[in-house]
Amino acid sequence: MTFLIQQTLTYAVPLMIVALAGVFAERSGIINLALEGIMIFGAFIGVLFVNLTQKAGVFAEAKAAGDWVALQGFMVLAMAVAALMGAVFSLLLSFASVNLKADQTIGGTALNLLAPALVLFFIRIIANQNTLQMAEGDSASWFMIKKSFFGYGRGDEMGFFGSTFIDKTYLATYICILLFIILSILLYKTRFGLRLRSCGENPQAADSLGINVYVMRYAGTTISGALAGMGGFVYALTTANCASTGDVAGFGFLALAVMIFGNWKPLNIACSALLFGLFKCIAASYASIDINGDGVFLLADLGVSPHFYRMLPYLITLLVLAFTSKKSRAPKAEGIPYDKSTR
Amino acid sequence: MKKFIALVMAAAMALSLAACGGTPASTPASTPASEPTSASTPASEPAAPETVSADDIEDNMTSADGTYEIAFITDVGQLKDKSFNQGTYDGVKLYAAANGLSYKYYQPANGDQATDDDRYDAMKAAVEGGAKVVVCAGFMQETALKRAAAEFPEVPFVFIDGYPLTDEEGNTLTNVAAIAFQEEQAGYFAGYAVVKDGFEKLGFSGGGGGTNPACCRFGYGFVQGANAAAAELGKTVDMNFSWEYGASFGASPELQTMMEGWYANGTEIVFACGGSMFQSISAAASANDGYVVGVDVDQASQSDTVVTSAMKGLADAVQWAVAKVYDDTFSEIGGVATSLGVAEHAVGLPTAESSWRFETFTADEYNALYEKVLNGELTIDSDYNNLEQEYSNLNLNII
Repeated sequence: MTFLIQQTLTYAVPLMIVALAGVFAERSGIINLALEGIMIFGAFIGVLFVNLTQKAGVFAEAKAAGDWVALQGFMVLAMAVAALMGAVFSLLLSFASVNLKADQTIGGTALNLLAPALVLFFIRIIANQNTLQMAEGDSASWFMIKKSFFGYGRGDEMGFFGSTFIDKTYLATYICILLFIILSILLYKTRFGLRLRSCGENPQAADSLGINVYVMRYAGTTISGALAGMGGFVYALTTANCASTGDVAGFGFLALAVMIFGNWKPLNIACSALLFGLFKCIAASYASIDINGDGVFLLADLGVSPHFYRMLPYLITLLVLAFTSKKSRAPKAEGIPYDKSTR
Repeated sequence: MKKFIALVMAAAMALSLAACGGTPASTPASTPASEPTSASTPASEPAAPETVSADDIEDNMTSADGTYEIAFITDVGQLKDKSFNQGTYDGVKLYAAANGLSYKYYQPANGDQATDDDRYDAMKAAVEGGAKVVVCAGFMQETALKRAAAEFPEVPFVFIDGYPLTDEEGNTLTNVAAIAFQEEQAGYFAGYAVVKDGFEKLGFSGGGGGTNPACCRFGYGFVQGANAAAAELGKTVDMNFSWEYGASFGASPELQTMMEGWYANGTEIVFACGGSMFQSISAAASANDGYVVGVDVDQASQSDTVVTSAMKGLADAVQWAVAKVYDDTFSEIGGVATSLGVAEHAVGLPTAESSWRFETFTADEYNALYEKVLNGELTIDSDYNNLEQEYSNLNLNII
């Protein structure tokens, strides 16, 4: 059970935060198809930051001394850098869609094509190969929270709560959850959030009330870029051993699906991200899942082909979208470049 | 209209999901991948006069006349995989550097999805680039190599992890030297050693989806070695054995999750038999205080989780074969199968102090075992079709 919860969270959290990134852009009226591209770029920047900082030896002492608080700070810093550069990267999309009034779907697709190529280009220059990794060690030994930090020995039990939510987890997971909650409140309970959402529903009306639609759309897309960039790095950190390969295994597109399935609402998105995370986890580790701890691996004993389990996440995505997309209600003005003269 | 757009988007996304998300799963089928393995010094000390590290030699060199004598065609996976490709290329670089020759590597287009045409194009480019010998890594080069070798009969090719090839009329291509390794011996040593060292719950995660002969031999040897050691100790050990998520020899979140599952359920050590798969497996091991057995080259320096590595002497074999080209004795190995094993000191475990991380298994025990294989007292079955059998002291759980 502990294993299942931890692995589900590992998959669900990047999905959740990137889906929220999509919400911010779309609620302001910009379709952000570039989530995948921004994730790839953010993952690259974060890993590059970790790699260069390690090479410079900045945190070597902290690592040697086992100062895990400093190392967590290092990780948060890398997340911040990835978020910042993700935001910068997304400015390309905002510029094209707000200032140039270009087709947003095409702009986003262009970024999706650009990001992996650009990232691989740099990785080849920097590392002379197709993967950029940490300069030393692995992500678990540098950034993972372990029970030994709190004085527990190897054989000591932390209890269900401790071993599930503290031991062998990444702080990044909880930062993302916290950010998710804060930003959801920002979107629904503040003046800024209301204005942002109004620009995605009826920008003409918003403009007539003195809201600058262009600024709001820039704000929405930039927040979106920052979240997606950070989500990309969190993905690389928790599931790819902190390596960047110009690929995030389609998580950006999966996040778009989660956003639509979640009907552009944070709570629904959180639930659907958990659902997808759960099935991704089952697909990869069905043979090791022992829900009630009685030593029986039910899913493996069923005798169903492993290919079926591997298909599950995608099958569920298709099914769920087929049934829910009819009811889904996108922001009304999304995808339409705002033109003052049409007011 | 908006609804329509939303629907189209949803459909597009679902499709791209299938496409993108499917990659890890689908690549296995379409791309058998490269073999595990890497380079650097083989088990035995090669006769190198002085120790020049292959890492100190540039991967890219520029020759004065723009031609390159020794060409290397990579297998799937990246060049610097710290394993098979890199190890083979180390041999090319070491030989070229020691003899002042020009060298170059060619990576077939389209990466892990490279087709036979892509590989043939790379070989052709190598020959046209002035290659006097072309080293091709990995059994997947077979089809392309057949074509290239028939088209350029005067150019010698070295086929690593390969077997003799024939042209369309059934004549043996004498310009192809096939070099394979007895990986089952290296795997046997590793399996024997870890069980002797006290590990009871083992795992094997191999690359190539079960179609790669080198990986299959490694795996079968590992099982036999573990069983033999368990029999000597009078206990029974368990082993999870899987080819899942290894088809492209790459790291993936799915592989890492599967390994997390193994380690979380008590698996203590996993034989990471496949190039970059090592990344995912060692990450899972590190998170769960587990251990890893490396493959092809000594991977101890890559992670503290590595207890030992099942090595094969790629770099040495390449240097040996290329030297045959330059001293005009290539005809000795052209067109015949060369299988290197313990007898040639081409497989084994790393014995350097920094790589010997066993707690109770001693170098003396290892040497005794090595000796037994060397003098023929102990033979290890290399026919991996026998993998699924009843073992006296080992429960094999194929996943």
